[in-house]
Amino acid sequence: MTVIEIESLTKSYQANRAVHGLSLRVEQGEIFGIAGPNGAGKTTVVECASGLRRPDGGTVRVLGLDPRTQRRELLQRIGAQLQEAALPDALRVGEALRMYAALYDRPADWRVLLDDWGLADKKRASFGSLSGGWKQRLFIALALVGNPEVVFLDELTTGLDPIARRTTWGLIRELRDRGVTVVLVTHFMDEAEALCDRIAIVDHGRVIAEDTPAALIAKQHSDSLEDAFFALTGRTLS
Amino acid sequence: MKGLRQVIAIELLLIVRDPMSAFFALAFPPLLLWVKLRGDEPLPGGLPEIDATVPMLSVFVIGQAALVVLPATLAQYRERRILKRLQATPASSALVFGAQWFAHLLLAAIGTVLLIALGFAVFDLSAPANVAAVLLAWFLGALSLGAIGLLIGALVPNARAATVIGLSLFFPMVFVSGAMIPREVTSESMRAVGDLTPMAPVVETIRDAWAGNALSPLTLSLMAAIALVAGCAAVRTFRW
Repeated sequence: MTVIEIESLTKSYQANRAVHGLSLRVEQGEIFGIAGPNGAGKTTVVECASGLRRPDGGTVRVLGLDPRTQRRELLQRIGAQLQEAALPDALRVGEALRMYAALYDRPADWRVLLDDWGLADKKRASFGSLSGGWKQRLFIALALVGNPEVVFLDELTTGLDPIARRTTWGLIRELRDRGVTVVLVTHFMDEAEALCDRIAIVDHGRVIAEDTPAALIAKQHSDSLEDAFFALTGRTLS
Repeated sequence: MKGLRQVIAIELLLIVRDPMSAFFALAFPPLLLWVKLRGDEPLPGGLPEIDATVPMLSVFVIGQAALVVLPATLAQYRERRILKRLQATPASSALVFGAQWFAHLLLAAIGTVLLIALGFAVFDLSAPANVAAVLLAWFLGALSLGAIGLLIGALVPNARAATVIGLSLFFPMVFVSGAMIPREVTSESMRAVGDLTPMAPVVETIRDAWAGNALSPLTLSLMAAIALVAGCAAVRTFRW
C-alpha cells in the first residue's frame, strides 16, 4: 500500500527554487530515506508533506489526504521530528509527553512511551538539562505520542556522537518493526545505507535516483552509497 | 478542550518556574505596596491610600503579565522553533494564543490575590463595594492588555525585541495611567497623556468598582473594543 504519493512537487522561496518537479512514493511499513546534500530541498519536501508549508504546484497525498486542505485530519495521524526544533528549557520530559499527548484525539499512553524509549529515569529532567542524544530520544517519543501511522524524522542524528547515533539507528529500526512507516531525511549517506529500505537521492530540488541501497550501489558499480552518490550527482571533491 | 487545559497548566508552571517573571509579577507588586504604604495619609478627596493602591497595583500586575512576560514568551517560542514543533501537531494557532493568554491571565490573577491578601492582612484594606463589578473590570482589563501583548508577540522579530518593546510600553504606561501614582496626585497634563493609553480605562474601572462608583459603559466598551481589535490583529499576523 502506498502511504505517501508526491507528484511534480514545486516550491520556491522568493527567487530560490527549493523543489521543482519532485516525485516519489513511500510504501507502508518501510524506512524511506530522503538523502542529499544540504540545500537539496529535502526539508521542504517533508514540510509540504506534513502540512507545514503550502506547495506552489504538484500533488501531495499522505495517507490519502491532501495536506493543503485536510491538514488537521492529517496531523492527527502523522508524527514529526523537525530540524532544530526545541522545547522550553524548563519543561520536564514527563510534562512534555503529557502535554503533547493531550493535543491528539487518540494518543498513545505517554507513560508507556516513557518506558519504551528509556526515558523513565529522565522523567523529571528539564529539557534544557538533556544532552543531544536524550533530546533526540525525547523528540522521537514526542513524534510517536499521537499514535501515528507515518513518522517524519528530519536530520535526526546531526550533532550526535557515534554512540548516540548508533543507538538512535536502533530506535528507528524498532519503529519500523512496530509497523510505523518512517521517512528519514539525512545528508549522511552511511546512515541512509545502513537504515533505509529504499532511498530517494535528491539534488537541486529533484529526485535523481530512487531504489534500495543495494541496487543504487550496484548500478553505479560503487562500494558504498556515498560513492554511488558522487557518481550519481557528478560531484567531485575539488 | 483537554489539550487547551493541559497547555494552560504547563504554561503557567513554566512562567512560575522562571525567576524573573515570577518575581516581577508576584513578589515585586507586594513589595511596592509595602514601600508605598509606609506613610499613611489619605489621598486628596479623603480616600485611604490603601483602597486606591491595591486596585492600582492590580493593574501593574496585569500589565507586567500581559505586556512584558507574554510577548517575550511568545517571541522566544518562535525564535527557538518551539512553535514550529507545535505546528506539526493538531494544535491550532487559536489554541496556542488562547493558552498563552489564559496562562498569563492566571499569573496576573495570582499576583492580584496576593496583593489583596496583603492589603487585608496588614494594611486595613476596605472590602470592595461591588465584587462582581471588580471582577468584570479586572477581567476586561486583562483581556484588553492581554490582546495587546499577543499582538506584540506576533509582530516582533525576536525575544530581545519583545522584551524591549514590552518594557518600553509598560513602564511609561504604569506611571502616566495612574497604576503606580494615584491619579488624585498627578498633574493634569500627565493625566491627559495617561488617558490616551489602554491602561487608563483599566485603572479607572477597577478603582471605580472597588469604591462602589458606577462603571462607565463607555470605558467598558472601550476595553472590549481594544481586546477585539488587538486580538483579531494578533491572530491575523501570527506566525509559527
